[in-house]
Amino acid sequence: MVSAKLTALNETGVHMRPAQVLVTKLAPLNAEVTLKHLGKDINAKSIMMVMAAGIKKGHEVEVICQGADEVAALALLEEFFKGVMDDA
Amino acid sequence: MKITDFLTASKVAIQAQAGTRDEAIRLLVGLQNAAGAISDPEEFEKDILAREAKGTTCIGEGLAVPHAKSTAAKEPSLAAVTLVTGVDYQSPDGQLADLIFMIATPPGGDAHLEILSRMMVLLMDADLRQKLRAAKEPEEFVRIVDEAEIAKYGSETKTEEAPPAEPEGRILAVTACPTGVAHTYMAAEALDKAAQKLSIPFKVETNGSTGIQNPLTAEDIKLAPAIIVAADKQVETERFVGKKVIFVKVADGIHKPEALLKQAQAGEAPIYEGSGEAGAGSASSSAASSESWARGVYKDLMNGVSHMLPFVIGGGVLIALAFLFDDYSINPASFGSNTSLAKVFMNIGQAAFSLMLPILAGFIALSIADRPGLAPGVVGGLLAKEGLSFGSLLYGSPAVSGGFLAALLAGFLAGYVVLGLKKLTENMPRSLKALGPVLIFPLLGSLLVGLVMLGLNPLMGVINSALANGLNAMGAAQKIPLGVLLAAMMSADMGGPINKAAYVFGVASIASGNYEVMAAVMIGGMVPPIAIALAATFFPNRFTPEERHGAPVNYVMGLCFITEGAIPYAAADPLRVIPSCLVGAGLSGGLAMAFNCGLMAPHGGVFVFPVVKNPGAYLLALVLGSLLGMALLAILKKKIPLTAARASA
Repeated sequence: MVSAKLTALNETGVHMRPAQVLVTKLAPLNAEVTLKHLGKDINAKSIMMVMAAGIKKGHEVEVICQGADEVAALALLEEFFKGVMDDA
Repeated sequence: MKITDFLTASKVAIQAQAGTRDEAIRLLVGLQNAAGAISDPEEFEKDILAREAKGTTCIGEGLAVPHAKSTAAKEPSLAAVTLVTGVDYQSPDGQLADLIFMIATPPGGDAHLEILSRMMVLLMDADLRQKLRAAKEPEEFVRIVDEAEIAKYGSETKTEEAPPAEPEGRILAVTACPTGVAHTYMAAEALDKAAQKLSIPFKVETNGSTGIQNPLTAEDIKLAPAIIVAADKQVETERFVGKKVIFVKVADGIHKPEALLKQAQAGEAPIYEGSGEAGAGSASSSAASSESWARGVYKDLMNGVSHMLPFVIGGGVLIALAFLFDDYSINPASFGSNTSLAKVFMNIGQAAFSLMLPILAGFIALSIADRPGLAPGVVGGLLAKEGLSFGSLLYGSPAVSGGFLAALLAGFLAGYVVLGLKKLTENMPRSLKALGPVLIFPLLGSLLVGLVMLGLNPLMGVINSALANGLNAMGAAQKIPLGVLLAAMMSADMGGPINKAAYVFGVASIASGNYEVMAAVMIGGMVPPIAIALAATFFPNRFTPEERHGAPVNYVMGLCFITEGAIPYAAADPLRVIPSCLVGAGLSGGLAMAFNCGLMAPHGGVFVFPVVKNPGAYLLALVLGSLLGMALLAILKKKIPLTAARASA
């Protein structure tokens, strides 16, 4: 298991587009990815749950990845929260 | 924030037809535009489609959420459609989309993300999605969303920006009204809403007919900067001694909650020093006398009436049932207790009835002089009821009951006698003063009240008999106008003083053995909510969507004789609604009198119809009055243009 505390830097927060991007990128991996945000556990592979989380810019999120490719999953999330996947 | 703040029924289309994704989007843009949420539909649609071009907004499970931050959006706004057959929306799971929400937000801010997040929390629930698809009309759709949101987040959402109220600094309120059915709760709700709007930490206790709810704790009171008492009857106030207390009518709680809260927050209220149960503060009358004299009398009277009502209701219905279960032919002279069943009902009912006047007098006195007033008041009330006098005791002249009027007199007399005794004992040594509540007030109070009542009863008896005989001997020429007048009074201010005056007269008439007056009074109070509900059902274009939404409840309110249901409608459009109700109620009251309908129970609405005298005619009177009220509402009220795009577009 690997984990990290990340801060969301996406310009407009994790709204629908970023959420879709995240879920699509995570889908091929087999690691389980859980986001801890405002006291709730969020399955990062569920588009609805990610959107329901309402993660805003500047929010801190604890990311926990578990599985064979957990390191790749964590790297992907680090990149994601830096906002480099924003295309707005 | 609530989803239903942004999603109104006018922006929902149910079971709509759309062949393609773009048709569905155009339909939603149309709904937003019709509701005035966007300034330029073409521009907005372009922004929505531009967003779709970057990637589908379809989430899967047949759900799509097209959205745009657009300069054409005037305010954050939601629209929704359900489709008869889904459209191809490039869904990740290949399903056709048939449940589509459209979010419009102006540029900047987080509204967009918050709405989306909240919606997703709810829509994750497959049951909810299914329910929304099955909704048959826009109002139902919005209600389903609302209920799901309440189930998830609680009724009023306290989001992160409003941290749970710290206990210190909460403004407190107590609401109470004589019947404790409607006004108590309306005032509590109005205050609560206003407090939220002004973001003032607030707690309200209701003293309704079901007892005290959400009681203020000693801790609450200790910490509170000020307390609002919005009550038309006696409430427990000794606990507020030393606090800033604002005393107002319950109606003020309903009509000017914000002003009251601001006043309380600013601390513009006298320090309450109590009514002097222990006689501590010599200037104790300052707070009490700031209430106007008439309002004080009204409050005392209503305290008596509200405590008496359960006795009249229980007794009245039981006695009426006794007649219902009896056989007139056995012995007409003792009709009502011929069969054993009737006899049982009759005696229990009479036991309740016989307590009515003592209770009335006792609780009037209690309202005036607090607990020490109760015993002398009850004693005085019983003497009034029995009609005992010096003449009847010493010379054997017949005792004539002084009835309701004598009991009123006994109540006020007892209250002020005990107040006087309290004043007299105030300057006595401490050791003697302790004897006040345990010996002096009960003994001297009851004796003085008793003596006065023995002296006055013959006079009251004459007045009461004259009134009772007058009522009973009235011919149709007097009875019908009386019925019209009383019924119209009932609907004039829907629970206010005029209504209560008519109501108390009706109850007093029962106490004097005339039951027709009460029949006219109750029907007058039932017509306004029913007439409004009928009008909203058959002439919906006279009412706003919110008004229509609330209308079904008014059937129930009307049938239960809760006139207060009509208040929101009357308040919104008094010049048209009140006269319509007044005329409808008047007709019912007059007809009830003309048909010789009688009612022994002073409350209960449709539930006591079986024990009404001439129930069929009574029902007819109710129906005719309600229909007339409805017709007048339809004629007088202006049509509201239907902006609601009921789409089958």
